Amino acid sequence: MQAELTSGAAPAAGRPDQPESHPPDAITVAGLRKSYGSVHAVRDVSFSVRRSEIVALLGPNGAGKTTTLEILEGFRARDGGAVMVLGLDPGDKSAAPELRERTGLVLQDIAVEPYLTVRETLARQAGYYQGPRDVPEVIGLVGLTGLEKRKVRSLSGGQKRRLDLALGLIGRPELLYLDEPTTGFDPAARHDAWDLVRELRAAGTTILLTTHDMAEAQALADRVVLLTGGAVVAEGPPAGLGGRDPDRARISFRLPPGVPVAALPASASVRDGAVVIETAEPTEELHRLTGWAVRRGVTLPGLTVDRPSLEDVYLRLTRDSAPSGAQKGAPDDRRRRRRR
Amino acid sequence: MTAAVAGAARPPRRRNRLALVIHQVRYEQLSFWRNPQSAIFTFVFPVVFVIIMGALFGSVGRSSYFGGLSALQYYVPTIAALCVLGSCYGQLAVALAARRQNGILKRVRATPLPAWAYFAGLLAHCVLVSIADIALIVGVGRLYGVPFPSHWPAIALTLVLGAAAFCALGVAVASVISNAEAAPAVAQLVLFPLLFLSGTYLPIHSQLLNQVTGWLPIRPFNEALTGPLSRHAGADWRHLAVLAAWGVIGAIVAVRRFRWDPRPE
Repeated sequence: MQAELTSGAAPAAGRPDQPESHPPDAITVAGLRKSYGSVHAVRDVSFSVRRSEIVALLGPNGAGKTTTLEILEGFRARDGGAVMVLGLDPGDKSAAPELRERTGLVLQDIAVEPYLTVRETLARQAGYYQGPRDVPEVIGLVGLTGLEKRKVRSLSGGQKRRLDLALGLIGRPELLYLDEPTTGFDPAARHDAWDLVRELRAAGTTILLTTHDMAEAQALADRVVLLTGGAVVAEGPPAGLGGRDPDRARISFRLPPGVPVAALPASASVRDGAVVIETAEPTEELHRLTGWAVRRGVTLPGLTVDRPSLEDVYLRLTRDSAPSGAQKGAPDDRRRRRRR
Repeated sequence: MTAAVAGAARPPRRRNRLALVIHQVRYEQLSFWRNPQSAIFTFVFPVVFVIIMGALFGSVGRSSYFGGLSALQYYVPTIAALCVLGSCYGQLAVALAARRQNGILKRVRATPLPAWAYFAGLLAHCVLVSIADIALIVGVGRLYGVPFPSHWPAIALTLVLGAAAFCALGVAVASVISNAEAAPAVAQLVLFPLLFLSGTYLPIHSQLLNQVTGWLPIRPFNEALTGPLSRHAGADWRHLAVLAAWGVIGAIVAVRRFRWDPRPE
């Protein structure tokens, strides 16, 4: 089958060449602030999303992701800062009808009515838009083919979530908000959903998503924006987030019994018997290490070589808001842990 | 979720307002008739009620106890009013609170569907259900010797006005209640004593009580329906005015307080 999706986006003229200026960004957020009473849910958030880009908003619970998203969606009023979505201000009530026409959203909660069928649910929603996608097309896109006549209440959780996703797509949005879209999906469904999101981007749809799944952010996002305590602490492509060098590797193993740390042939950090050596030259370093071990007649239990993952960076940068402060030392972004 | 084909973007279409409301009503109706709970409560309950009243009082002729009417002539309009109340006020308040809680309202709000169209659809849906209800009750009443009414325009006016007023009150109550679990309890708590005091179940012979409940929404609706349904009278303007005033109050509260979002600020 031919993979071609159309979106409501205007033909992205010259997009690859000049992504910064023309056409304007799909979303710009500058100095956004929002408090609930004395709780500063969002204290200073700035980022932008270019057209046809997938950006993931990451951060622990209470970091301000949902509040930020809801301000962009027009559900919440901001206290300060500037926000532009598709050239319109979501805080301006008169812009709401046009914004609703041009954006789609999938909320965290599965929100579908139980007694309608899959097709009816989508046909009803399609009736709200001026240029919706065809209902059978969207059913195919989210993989619900064959279930058109099933009542929503008889669908599994994952199937309901796909219907939810379909509801977000039906209006042919230029911009799609996905709030933890694949929660509850089995691995195959998750990969299918990722493929769908990539197809949407290829067709010109801009996507802003939140997720707690670092693999999802790594696999999907062109850029990630990491929020902690209501502020952006890191931003960039997932591979290089948090200033980590994608070429830097990490060799780890457990300290062999009877071997003092000082005897290791490389500078290593050791915690509870777990040795970690970070290096930009893993081939050389590994050769030296294994040579040393063979000569001494020791084995290196659990020897692995990997690269610091997005999850590692995430944990490092958000550590102080994690429930167990087992590790210490997040350098400059220590913030009071807050709950909402 | 295999790769799939998208048709070319269809030319933008402008739906006219009526088509949009009809679209809404259609799916409200589908949802409603497939929900066994709402169908049973709305239709089986009143029929059973009329049949019970018929069994108890079917042979009782006109009496001063029932205000000069036969028992069934008394109960057909009050049960009809009860049904309109149930579908417009009770079910609407509960359904809206539930839809808000599980995010359906928020999702509706995110579409280009205007708020007025959503509520117009709900109102039209409730009027349709009320019409079916009243037809059913009048039909069953006929079996117990209550003659068919003759003032259809007055019935239609009373029905639409009553449905609109109680819908507005239902939305107002849904606006004030914050969580869906509390909605049925709160809605019933207000409704049940007031139904009794307003003479829905038994005629009230206290002058004072009738004066007080005459200014509340239920008794005027009972009276306004009793005229055209059982007394061959026309529209009862005085009681309709009280009902309309309650509708306006409900609408004001609804417009000011209605929330689409399950987690308000």
